[in-house]
Amino acid sequence: MWSLGRPDAPLDDPVLIVGERVSAASEEVLEAGVSLGMPRREAEALAPFATVLVRDPGEESRRFEPVVETIEDLVPRVEVVAPGLIFVPIAGAVRFYGGEEVLAERVAKELDRMVGQERGGQALVGVADGPFAARWAAAGAEVGRPLVVGDTIDFLSRLDLAALREDLDAEELIDTFRWLGVSTLGDLARLPRDALATRFGNPGLLAHRLAAGDDRFVDPREIPPDLAVDADFEEPLESLDAVAFASRALAERLLRGLRGSGAAPHRVSILAEDAAGGSRERIWRSADPFTEKALSDRVWWQLRAWVESGGIPGGVSRIRIAPADLSDEGRQLGLLKDESSRIEAERALARAQALLGPDGVLQGRVQGGRLPGERVSWSRWGEPPPDQERDGDAPWPGATPAPSPALVPPEPRPLEVEWEGGMPTRVRLGTRWEPVLTWSGPWRLGGRWWVGEEDADRYQLVTSVGAFLCVVTRGRAFLAGVYD
Amino acid sequence: MGLKEVIAADVVGATPLLDLADREKGYLQLRPGHVTELLGIPGTGLTRLGLRLLAGHSQTTPVVALDTRGWISPAAAWETGVVPESLVIVRCNDPGLWPKVAAALLEGVNALYAEVPAGAREQDLRRLAALARARKAAVAMRPMSNRGLPSGVAHLRLRALGVTWEGADRGHGRLGRRRLMLEASGKGASGMTRRFEVEDEGTDVVRVVSDVVVGEARRAVG
Repeated sequence: MWSLGRPDAPLDDPVLIVGERVSAASEEVLEAGVSLGMPRREAEALAPFATVLVRDPGEESRRFEPVVETIEDLVPRVEVVAPGLIFVPIAGAVRFYGGEEVLAERVAKELDRMVGQERGGQALVGVADGPFAARWAAAGAEVGRPLVVGDTIDFLSRLDLAALREDLDAEELIDTFRWLGVSTLGDLARLPRDALATRFGNPGLLAHRLAAGDDRFVDPREIPPDLAVDADFEEPLESLDAVAFASRALAERLLRGLRGSGAAPHRVSILAEDAAGGSRERIWRSADPFTEKALSDRVWWQLRAWVESGGIPGGVSRIRIAPADLSDEGRQLGLLKDESSRIEAERALARAQALLGPDGVLQGRVQGGRLPGERVSWSRWGEPPPDQERDGDAPWPGATPAPSPALVPPEPRPLEVEWEGGMPTRVRLGTRWEPVLTWSGPWRLGGRWWVGEEDADRYQLVTSVGAFLCVVTRGRAFLAGVYD
Repeated sequence: MGLKEVIAADVVGATPLLDLADREKGYLQLRPGHVTELLGIPGTGLTRLGLRLLAGHSQTTPVVALDTRGWISPAAAWETGVVPESLVIVRCNDPGLWPKVAAALLEGVNALYAEVPAGAREQDLRRLAALARARKAAVAMRPMSNRGLPSGVAHLRLRALGVTWEGADRGHGRLGRRRLMLEASGKGASGMTRRFEVEDEGTDVVRVVSDVVVGEARRAVG
């Protein structure tokens, strides 16, 4: 982690750095009650004395670039999460440098030399198993003294639940855990994972994985070689506008291609070649699959950082974006054309599932049957559909014809119907009797006698306040649907 | 021109009626960032109409029906053209939890048909409408009470005045086409109150039949 400086910030006045939310603040501002992540307006109201500076991630990337390059000189395959935060897989480098502590100290020492008003300062280095634990190890480290975590699970178990906030974006879930008496990641990790998954759905499962040191899982998929996208420019691009346009178009092309194969990228490699044939490559990672906007922003930040720092002499002659990690995180990906709205919708449904329990969010699938209630096979949202009890493609002679009732009670409900000479005349709706204006039926429904089912007759009853599907068996009428 | 001729021109004149039909067709589309209220007792065909309003959105994005009774049948939605894989039914029979669930859904879902439980608090409904505006979500709300939504929550109110069925005749035939008489009002109807009829064939065909109903012109304040 690297604290980025703002050369344009006044030296003596308190400062608030904001996007839509607070991303940084000076000590006086924090003492006034402002917290990181707080909405901008709320923070401005709490600290009206602070100088407000708007965040510019592109500019931050440019200033952060030399820091990334310094680390990249020591350990290859650096993964940038955001300006100021990078992950470095160190399994190979540890052997080369002779140990985790030696490597971490070397990184911290190199970074100390980078400190300056333009680039900022205060590098925090943490080493642990997995990006989540490493991020919190860095947060617990001191400047110049890296924190190397020996027992990651023990380290995580002592962290407060608030540590989940960045990765989960599920404030309400964290509040629920606290209400249940769970205050640390250790408390959470001790709960049975199955029970959490049942009660809280995917966010609960993910929280447990993080707390137990399993980190955010990416179901790795084989990456077909043709998914990478690139663009060659005969005239190397020197203007930032041209680079921005090209990067946005390429990011869209990559995601469009991935959508076709039902995959979503968590890590992407961005490569740029200069006019002389030299190339630069950088990996960016995201906890959630990249959306078009998120990816094009990152490609643009990276290219801008390279161009403005003189890393691409003579202009950009080629850009290539390739997925590094793909996941299957898209349910029904093939059918939903808009990837970003799908991801947002899935998050919303997961939150609803956390509030209502897994049985509150359902999907229906077509199956065969004669009554409207039989023609839907229900499954919990996010779970694979059950095997069809009744073949939906098979002919179902005697099935209740369309239009289907829009309201179908889970079980047929007793309905009071008055008959005269075998013809329905009145139906009781709540406290009043409604005359039957007309009707169709009876249609015979042969019961499965081998399991003790009775035969029944179906009627469609039309009254002045609507139409109803009614099933009569053994002289008793039941409501099977409302044509609402 | 005599009085009789003026009245005839108002009622059957070709140009005004074409404009009217187009506008009324527009009432049957959920607009992003706006709440459409569907007001009427069960049986008047508003559930099916509400699900029909999700059909277009379901081609590209997940759509949600928020069900307070546990009775909504996706089969009716599929018949109206909603993509089966895109439709998610969220069942919430706890009125205390309903605003939270509706807000959670509006945070990420682009199109929502929501039954509103009786007794839902006015401030919650106003917050949800503001959230729909901010998120540009297309929302249809179906109050379960006869009181309807508080004024200002819905951009357009469609009130069911009645329904007539064709196809069934004293034991013969079967239910086929239905005609819904609707009254549109609110900002979305330009502050005017208009009545029109909708023909529902029982498939994904829903037709606006403007020329059989004369639009009511009333004075509007606002």
